[in-house]
Amino acid sequence: MIESLRTRWIIIIAVIGLALFWVGPNFIDSWPMKNANKVNYGLDIQGGLHLVLGVDSNEVVIEKTARMIRGLSSEFKSDNIDFTDVKAQAGNREVVVVTSQTDKVKDFINRRYPATLQILSTSNGEVVARFADTEIQRYKEQIVEQSIEVIRNRIDEFGVSEPSITAQGDNRIVVQLPGIEDSARAKELINKTAKLNFRPVVQEFHPFAGQRSQELVGWITDAEKAGNYHLGLKATVANTESKGLQYSEYIKKLNADLASKLPRNTRVSFEKSQNAKTIEAGKTAYLLDVDNDLSGGALDDARVNYDEFRNPVVSFQFNLDGRRKFAEMTGGIAEKENGQGYMAIVLDEVVQSAPTVQNEINSDGAQITLGSKGPEAEEEAKLIATTLRAGALPAALTQLEERTVGPSLGADSIRKGKMAGLVGGILVLIFMLLYYKKLGVIANIALSLNILFILALLTSLGATLTLPGVAGIVLTIGMAVDANVIIFERIKEELRKGVGMKTAIKDGFDHAFSAIMDANITTVAVCIVLMYFGTGPIRGFAVTLICGVITSMFTSIFVSRAIIDLLIEKFGMKSIHTVKLASSARGN
Amino acid sequence: MSKNKNDKYSAKTTAAKTSGNKEGINIDFLSKANIFAGVSILLVLVSLVLIFSKGLNYGIDFAGGTEVQVLFDKSVSTDDVRSFTKNLGYDSASVQSFGEGNQEYLIRMESIQAATDKETNKLINALIAKITTGLKATFATSGPEIRRVDSVGPQVGDELKTNGLLAIFYSLVLILIYIGLRFDYKFAPAAVFCLFHDTIITLGIYALLQKEVNVQTLAAILTIIGYSLNDTIVTFDRIRENSGSILFRGWAFDDLVNRSLNDVLTRTILTSLTTLIAVAAMYFIAGGVIKDFAFTLAIGVIVGTYSSIYIASPLVILIDRWEASKAPAA
Repeated sequence: MIESLRTRWIIIIAVIGLALFWVGPNFIDSWPMKNANKVNYGLDIQGGLHLVLGVDSNEVVIEKTARMIRGLSSEFKSDNIDFTDVKAQAGNREVVVVTSQTDKVKDFINRRYPATLQILSTSNGEVVARFADTEIQRYKEQIVEQSIEVIRNRIDEFGVSEPSITAQGDNRIVVQLPGIEDSARAKELINKTAKLNFRPVVQEFHPFAGQRSQELVGWITDAEKAGNYHLGLKATVANTESKGLQYSEYIKKLNADLASKLPRNTRVSFEKSQNAKTIEAGKTAYLLDVDNDLSGGALDDARVNYDEFRNPVVSFQFNLDGRRKFAEMTGGIAEKENGQGYMAIVLDEVVQSAPTVQNEINSDGAQITLGSKGPEAEEEAKLIATTLRAGALPAALTQLEERTVGPSLGADSIRKGKMAGLVGGILVLIFMLLYYKKLGVIANIALSLNILFILALLTSLGATLTLPGVAGIVLTIGMAVDANVIIFERIKEELRKGVGMKTAIKDGFDHAFSAIMDANITTVAVCIVLMYFGTGPIRGFAVTLICGVITSMFTSIFVSRAIIDLLIEKFGMKSIHTVKLASSARGN
Repeated sequence: MSKNKNDKYSAKTTAAKTSGNKEGINIDFLSKANIFAGVSILLVLVSLVLIFSKGLNYGIDFAGGTEVQVLFDKSVSTDDVRSFTKNLGYDSASVQSFGEGNQEYLIRMESIQAATDKETNKLINALIAKITTGLKATFATSGPEIRRVDSVGPQVGDELKTNGLLAIFYSLVLILIYIGLRFDYKFAPAAVFCLFHDTIITLGIYALLQKEVNVQTLAAILTIIGYSLNDTIVTFDRIRENSGSILFRGWAFDDLVNRSLNDVLTRTILTSLTTLIAVAAMYFIAGGVIKDFAFTLAIGVIVGTYSSIYIASPLVILIDRWEASKAPAA
């Protein structure tokens, strides 16, 4: 303890000054310091949308494996390594190379992809490898980062002030949008995949121009029958056993079932038939070459326009790289099919259109026609344009948790919470005054300063005040007097023993210290556990409680001691309590 | 380190304490220890039976599900809201009115689990949209305002539950270690037993009243653990100090503990009172989350104060005796 009373008071006054400086902006609008921190209110107080999204990175790892398989085949060829097949296994997460030259393949993989691929086994003319754990981990983190970036872009288009989009672990994203009331629209914007691809149509199977188109239709019907499923959530009348699937699920399952029949690196996608109302009602099958695709990353801009029939269309512009690739791709198609080829524009695995490609197209852009009018189509066009502009999500997102709080509820809660704090505080002050009289005044000064310090500390830390946090502050008001009570009881006890007042005060403070310290350390320990395991609002509670413990140590030990010493030394106070000194302590 | 400090204390206090320390309150807590032990064991058993028979009413945080809070600008009958959810096809939805004047309702629907996460998502989003737009349309004349929508997927619920239990577990372990290091090892089990005692009785009351257990309840229980521990530690600190003091040399450990309990009794009661004042203010004035919080805290403060006086110290004596009975044999 610092002995000089003057030094102690200088410290106290400096701390009070600093606290007022920090707290000020919360109460005075025209605070001289611009950009000063204010207490942040959590979403449960200011209202808004809180979403926890799961990132399905498995899907992306599978896609990455498929790409690796395509890459390896061509690399083996150019390296003159003999191989029969490169295929996927174990849920498309492992690469199997069937080869007579296992050692060469092994060498190649170790040389070319030392950190990326991990060889699992080499036997029977097969080399099995998969992505290394560190690589997958890095990749997952990258996907979460990219997703956050994309969501941020989309949210910016939506115009939310101070959105918070953060990663949680390696597969979660927490999105917080203060003040959002139209949660449905915000969710749609976030969840829209909008994966745009340009893919060559496999000519042989073209629904109208291909010789084998009927064969493809037959395969699809057989697969549906064998697997007992169909597109669309309503059960078909003829076959009530059949399971209805949503498009994204349906297309995934169908392609998996047809994998053995379809040519390598192709995929079935559907277009809504011209006279059908929905894709479920009528669909046209296309077989697309996925080896040669151009994705939405090639875009520079996307906007809503109108065609000659006043139907909304989404038109987009390529960036330089996109333009070059688009030219290459269309040139390739034209050359291969002698100017009779087709290219499909695919959005979220649905073929939007499949125009003829007669020669290389060196164009700035292209467009998707929605084929219908009305505000709904317009909304849809806007959504597609926005998501295309903001970039596609690298992985599908699932919504794990949603919490929306309307602004009036939050305002209500904080008003009542403040009131509870005020009433609780005043009652505690009165209680202390009645019980401890003079000492009570000192404890009350300490308590009032404590509240000021908590608020100052929270503000300066930029902590977020949540409703449980408010509860934490009110609870601290009740608990903070504890240290003072321990000290005062101790002083009274010392006085009863008949020692002088100065000694009693000194011993009282000294003896109380270890009890106060131990009790507070355990409270802090529990708070740390809460911060680690708790969700947002609960963390807010733990933070306020920790702040409360720290400030109450300072006020009840340091400040109240300084007040008592000041009163005795400078103002000649003789007794600090109504306890009768010395005389009563001689009972023994 | 703490030992040195203690020695210094006793050296200092010896000079001061010239006339013994028999002044003040002197209640013989320990003579009734058996009765209270019986009461506590009974309470813990009853709580356990309640927790396992009636079960805890998990809120959507833990059970998963969707909750919509709606405020009307005039009174609407519970039956009307019930038939509204029924008409939408959610027979299992629970409708609960709160606040005064039948103006505010909480509609809670069970967790939905479809074949895939994506479908689950779609269904939940459709559900939320249906309820919110439905409320606005059906009760248009009563000025409905959607105040809050919470939806927790089943995976997250399980995770929150696991995290909650882990949080309690780690708190207890940390406390056990800290008390073991800071005090004597015989204090640690007593303190931790008390915390189990407080937690189980609080949960028992939750099971009895079928009050909703959510993330806030958990935070409140952890706070109680911290709080109840404060009381216990202050008492232990005094026992430790008194055992080192020359004044109590030759005292039986039982008497020493009883004396220490009396020494800190005023403090224990005063602090519990001020805390209860603050908690009561929260319970009666603040609504919603804070009110539930306050409810748990109030139970905890009462049970915690009781256990630190009547349970913790007798347990320390019990452990001390057990140790003494083992000592000669060793």
